[in-house]
Amino acid sequence: MPRSPSLILAHLWLAFLVFAGAAALGAWQMWVRSPLHAPYSSPETYFISVTTHGSSMAYVMATFFIMGFGYYVAETALEQPLPGRIWAWAGFFLGLVGSAMALGTAIAGRATVLYTFYPPLTGSPAYYLGLVLVVVASWIWCVLMIVAMARWKRAHPGRAVPLAQFATVANAIMWLWTTVGVAAELLFLVLPVALGWTETIDAGLARTLFSWTLHAIVYFWLLPAYTAFYTMAPQAAGGRLFSDMMGRLSFALFLIYSVPIGIHHLLMDPEHSTGFKYLQSFMTGLVTVPTLLTVFTIAASFEIAGRLRGGTGRLGWLRTLPWDRPMVLATGLSFLMLWFGGLGGLINMSYGTNAMVHNTSWVTAHFHLIFGGTVVIMYFAIAYEIWPRLTGRATPSTVWQRRQLWLWFIGMMVTTLPWHWLGLYGQWRRVAHFDYADPVIAWWAPWVTVSFVGGLILLASAVIFVLNLASFHQSAAAHAPEFVPGPERYAISLHPVGRVPSVLNGFTTWNLVLLVLMLLAYGWPVAQFVVTPSPGAVAHRVFEQAVR
Amino acid sequence: MSGTHPPADAAWTTRLWLAVVGVLAVGGLLAFLAVPLVQGGSIGLDTYTAICRGLGILPGTPARVTPASHAAAQPVTQVAWTTETLAELANADPARGAKVAEERCVACHAPDGSSAAPNIPRMAGQSYFAIYKQLHDFQSGARVSDIMSPQVEGLDDKAMADVAVYYGGLQRGDSDLQNPPAVGPEIENLVINGDVRRGLPPCTACHGTRAGGPVEVPTLADQHADYIEAQLQAFATGERRNDIYHRMRSVASRLTPHEMHLLAIYYAGVR
Repeated sequence: MPRSPSLILAHLWLAFLVFAGAAALGAWQMWVRSPLHAPYSSPETYFISVTTHGSSMAYVMATFFIMGFGYYVAETALEQPLPGRIWAWAGFFLGLVGSAMALGTAIAGRATVLYTFYPPLTGSPAYYLGLVLVVVASWIWCVLMIVAMARWKRAHPGRAVPLAQFATVANAIMWLWTTVGVAAELLFLVLPVALGWTETIDAGLARTLFSWTLHAIVYFWLLPAYTAFYTMAPQAAGGRLFSDMMGRLSFALFLIYSVPIGIHHLLMDPEHSTGFKYLQSFMTGLVTVPTLLTVFTIAASFEIAGRLRGGTGRLGWLRTLPWDRPMVLATGLSFLMLWFGGLGGLINMSYGTNAMVHNTSWVTAHFHLIFGGTVVIMYFAIAYEIWPRLTGRATPSTVWQRRQLWLWFIGMMVTTLPWHWLGLYGQWRRVAHFDYADPVIAWWAPWVTVSFVGGLILLASAVIFVLNLASFHQSAAAHAPEFVPGPERYAISLHPVGRVPSVLNGFTTWNLVLLVLMLLAYGWPVAQFVVTPSPGAVAHRVFEQAVR
Repeated sequence: MSGTHPPADAAWTTRLWLAVVGVLAVGGLLAFLAVPLVQGGSIGLDTYTAICRGLGILPGTPARVTPASHAAAQPVTQVAWTTETLAELANADPARGAKVAEERCVACHAPDGSSAAPNIPRMAGQSYFAIYKQLHDFQSGARVSDIMSPQVEGLDDKAMADVAVYYGGLQRGDSDLQNPPAVGPEIENLVINGDVRRGLPPCTACHGTRAGGPVEVPTLADQHADYIEAQLQAFATGERRNDIYHRMRSVASRLTPHEMHLLAIYYAGVR
């Protein structure tokens, strides 16, 4: 049992309530872009909605979920009290205030800049300050995760840190590295413009600093899903983790190869040379290594479980896996979406093919499939896994949990496959409307309608998810009042984990490696803006327009 | 991986660094040496320039200083190919045009529209859309010439259309370039295929014999080479800027002076 269930529940409930609201906005946005007539539709409301949807999902939902889940792991995997619980609560309220500021400003139409900012577009300072508070709150979490692991190591010299906590700290350290980029962009470039202190902004430098954050932030969202793959899914399937060492290596590789590669988001930008674009694309390719290590390890772990349950033959073990368990089902569906999303990602990171899909809905499809699909479906499964231990109540029934997971998978595929398809035909992203009267794009209309249907399915799934979680809290739902949830059992490794090399039991060396990689990958691309300053781009303050 | 003897820590750390540095070296060699040399070689860059461009310490495209302009913004053109304009040209009167030409044009452009001076364009057989647009542009100030600008003063739209169809209807004789020298396969390839690497469309995409280009595209065949070359240079420097959507400025600025020279000779020799 976690010792701070209310702290964890506060984080997770905030995350999921914001998530449900943002899911509704997403469905409405597809309605606006479809040929069907949506209520309240105008370019202004559309961009308000897109900004709110993106900020809610990317900054608020993900961050609060990861913080809450991290606290859960620190207390259950390390079996020790969380250090600095008061700091954790302070972080929660700081993030809450920040979220309210950012989302409130976006909803008020004073920051229609999308969650990726796009300077010289400039929103109200309250929007950026709110996001800064959310980031500062997450930094408190990072420090607490690192301190928790350090304390455990001191108390257990020579022993391997439990994999779940090793993964969580890998994510915390990566996040500290990652947020340097966006923090520098907001504090030194965007906020001075938003506050009216300067009239121009170096858009190239701002985009470069954001690229520093932009790819690794996806891995920040992804690593909790991978943590569940390694430490929860094999246990739920009734098997063993094929290799604990493989997990450690994967998380460490994610740490070093998710940050120094963000320039592949700027392949079409003019401010960087081909050499650095090539180098960072090359290193982006290396992210496939821990990804494939994970796919291999988890597939092997599931095979062990399937064979233990009587599965025979080359693929017979797949049939005997307990697919009725939400964690197992979610892992399977997540892998399917990772397959599609990952292949799409290989196309995005390659210079030539990226040129074809640049700024099309292909890209939107890719990141929804990875974040909305692969990652978020595991957030659901994690919630279903840990809610009994947080509430002390048994799962009423897994039927609606499974239906919800299937609906999410179907909805995400139905939404994103037409986006991929239309993206190949050049359908542009970040627009409020399509002119279907234009014969060149008239044929898009039915496909966009299909995506809208997908959005409705996703919304239905989101609502069911919140109801499923709420049902734990109803006294009637605990149909076994004597239910006492056992401690969280993380997957046991096939080979007992004794001592591991110190490189795989801490992060000192990996931080040094990452420092070297960052200096080489981002040193000159950032320094060039100081050596030869670019002409400033004139600020375009959207909030001034909104009040006019 | 988990033998009875756990691998020594130092060995793990060494292997880790070797792997990272090795991978980085491969990536760096490809990024900053192999790719710049291979790609730079194909566009004729020397080794030093190619590597410096790969590193981003030399600009990727030759930087051109944009001359500061204190002139008031002027429109590219005032001509729009509306149905009214097209109808005006369709109904224009060449006889009236001949009269206007006699008063204002023949001194330079000759009565038969084939001036002998190499810097004065031949008008005979020119597209009357092109002539109309240029006259209109001289009048609106979109195109500036010390000689032509005063000549079009006071001409109304109808008169300009009449002159255009008059000269357009004349037969263009062969140019003074009787035996055009061969310009070589590279220039012919530029005319027919363009150069994708430089973003150069083929000349024939617009100046072809078939329809497809913009309405106002002039006929280049048998034009004076000197005149064509001068116009390409004027477009390249931005001195002439009445081309809609920057079409000719963007093309000409990517041509070398030598290519402009040869292209002018090529078109002067086209029959």
